[in-house]
Amino acid sequence: MISKEHTFIRRRIEAVAGILALGILMLGVRAVDLQWLQADHLTNLAEKQRYRQFTTVAPRGPILDQKGRILAKSIETPSIAAIAGEVPSDRINELAKVLGVSHKKLQHKLNKRKGFVWLARQVPPAVARKVMALNVPGVRQEAEWQRYHPLGPETGHLLGFVGIDGRGLEGIERTWNKQLSGESGLRQVRRDARGHSLPDGHWVREPAAGQAITLTLDASIQSIAYAALAEGVRNQNAKGGSVVVMRPQDGAILAMTSWPGYNPNSFRHYRPSDWRNRAITDVFEPGSTLKPFTVAAALESGRWQPDTQVYCEKGAMRIADYTIHDDHAEEWLDVTGVLVRSSNIGSAKMALDIGARPLHNMMEKAGFGRRSGTGLSGESSGIVLPPERWGPVETANIAFGQGIAVTPLQLATAFSVLANDGVHVTPSLFADQLGQHAPTRVISSTIAHQVTQMLEYATSEDGTGSQAVPAGYHVAGKTGTAQKPNPRGGYSKGKYNAVFAGFAPVNDPQLVIIVLVDEPQKSIYGGQVAAPIFRQIAESALPYLGIPARFDRHGDEQDLSNQTWRTMPIVAKESILDSESLFGMSMREVRHFSAQRGLRLHVHGSGWVIRQKPTATSGLKHGETLEVWLNE
Amino acid sequence: MSTYLKPWLLIPATAAALAGGLIWLSHLRYELSLETQRVTTEKKSIEQESNQLRLEIASLTRPERLRQYARDSLNMAPPSPMQVIHQ
Repeated sequence: MISKEHTFIRRRIEAVAGILALGILMLGVRAVDLQWLQADHLTNLAEKQRYRQFTTVAPRGPILDQKGRILAKSIETPSIAAIAGEVPSDRINELAKVLGVSHKKLQHKLNKRKGFVWLARQVPPAVARKVMALNVPGVRQEAEWQRYHPLGPETGHLLGFVGIDGRGLEGIERTWNKQLSGESGLRQVRRDARGHSLPDGHWVREPAAGQAITLTLDASIQSIAYAALAEGVRNQNAKGGSVVVMRPQDGAILAMTSWPGYNPNSFRHYRPSDWRNRAITDVFEPGSTLKPFTVAAALESGRWQPDTQVYCEKGAMRIADYTIHDDHAEEWLDVTGVLVRSSNIGSAKMALDIGARPLHNMMEKAGFGRRSGTGLSGESSGIVLPPERWGPVETANIAFGQGIAVTPLQLATAFSVLANDGVHVTPSLFADQLGQHAPTRVISSTIAHQVTQMLEYATSEDGTGSQAVPAGYHVAGKTGTAQKPNPRGGYSKGKYNAVFAGFAPVNDPQLVIIVLVDEPQKSIYGGQVAAPIFRQIAESALPYLGIPARFDRHGDEQDLSNQTWRTMPIVAKESILDSESLFGMSMREVRHFSAQRGLRLHVHGSGWVIRQKPTATSGLKHGETLEVWLNE
Repeated sequence: MSTYLKPWLLIPATAAALAGGLIWLSHLRYELSLETQRVTTEKKSIEQESNQLRLEIASLTRPERLRQYARDSLNMAPPSPMQVIHQ
């Protein structure tokens, strides 16, 4: 009986021990499973729950002018996105109303896919706040960077613009996209149960902000040049134009502007052909503005002196089967006279005398036929035929600027050689690149000085460029008028480029200014079309740079500050800088503007004016409609 | 009374004090972390506002606008070079 009971107890103990052993074994198996076999997966899951990664978007670097003024900057702007599958269809209507799009369009966007879709990118903060206040499931706000160019059309061609994805698409924004773009960072933080970040976060990848670029450009001179060019082009009903302003000593480009302008802040409203920077992409035949270099080559050869006489064939000279004409028939002129009277025949004779190769060398050393070295994308190298293809007709033509094509920037670089005592300096747009290229001597200092003197005569009362001279300054410059080539290889009838290239003040040149006006309608002559634009730029920019005006008295130049004080009457002439743009005005200013003129105003959006219709407000009469689009 | 005060009691007492200190420090760290996050967000928003204000200054002081303002509101005209005096 006892042994039976013992056996039972023992069995029970064994059973319990067995179950316990099995349990321990199962725990062991599970422990191995969890800690070893599933370790990676589970660690991963746990870390996902505890850790969170944030992407930090690095802003694009700003573009500044030489005085640190902002030319382009990025600001964080809200965008509205949604997880399409989560947006209830009965709320699309109110969402569409706040976003200012049609129900159908929004529906179409949401039906495209189930996942992430953009509903509206880069919207004004007020709209984003309204959308988020609706609290529609699945709709969320994302931060994006929007590029803004405060000077708008004035710097449009040079700076270019940035696409919605933050990549530079044109101009400096495109060429230097890599330096300007920041690199986004990735930060990992531990979260607590309530979702708050714990303090031991670390960077998986550090963000790198885009580099700032400081240009040699001066916003004030750029604005002066743009306003003067716009005025000049409008006065002449011309097709377009461009201006380059350069400091000859170090090649710093102070202004580069083109017309017609476009606003990079709303670049989609313009045609792609309006986006191009004409000052570097468009080539033109420089016409008579090339003659100073023919003269320099002739003087450099030693066969010609400034007072050497040349017979100008009474206005017509035949070379092979081709006849060269002068606008003013001349007989004997000295070399200075050839430049002052702008004689094609005199220049051709000099070129034929020295031969093709020295003239070609001069063009090459002055920077024609090759890219200028600024690195801007889309820059043309111009057209200079190899000297082997220069027969007598070509040599004669090139001597007065036909059969050769240059860009306004190349012409500015070449005139800098004359302004800079015969030394070529590579033009530069970037403050930190100034002086990186070694200057090269093109012509001797004496010859540069002689040609400068001749160019000063060319802007005297007797010369073709007299309208380029602002009161109180001396200018050395040359006018040019060139027929435009047509696509069939000949010259277009009635289509001309008017050019003025020069520098001021003559005794210590501070500015080289090139003005090109494309197809002027009222006059075709550089002296009447481009020279006044040159004067307007010089007379505003030189005082701005602190270069005092001087005036001649009894043939002596005396500083104005040495004179006794004279009261100057303010001439109430119509401003050359008159503008009709409402761009940048606030809502209040626009209302005031339209109320003053009795105009009916239609306003879209809020913030600052970015577009207006019609573009010219001066022609609007009382009661007519002015429509403006504003954006924050 | 002194019979209850044994030297070995110092060990659990110190351990308890250290544990309490550790918990307090951890709490402090957590609170500071929340504060840092709040200040960082505030800093970011101020930076953003400052960015916008800088742009607004650049936009309001752009030469074209100043020129228009000087001409239309202040009845000024561009000086001729002879009217500009330099020291």
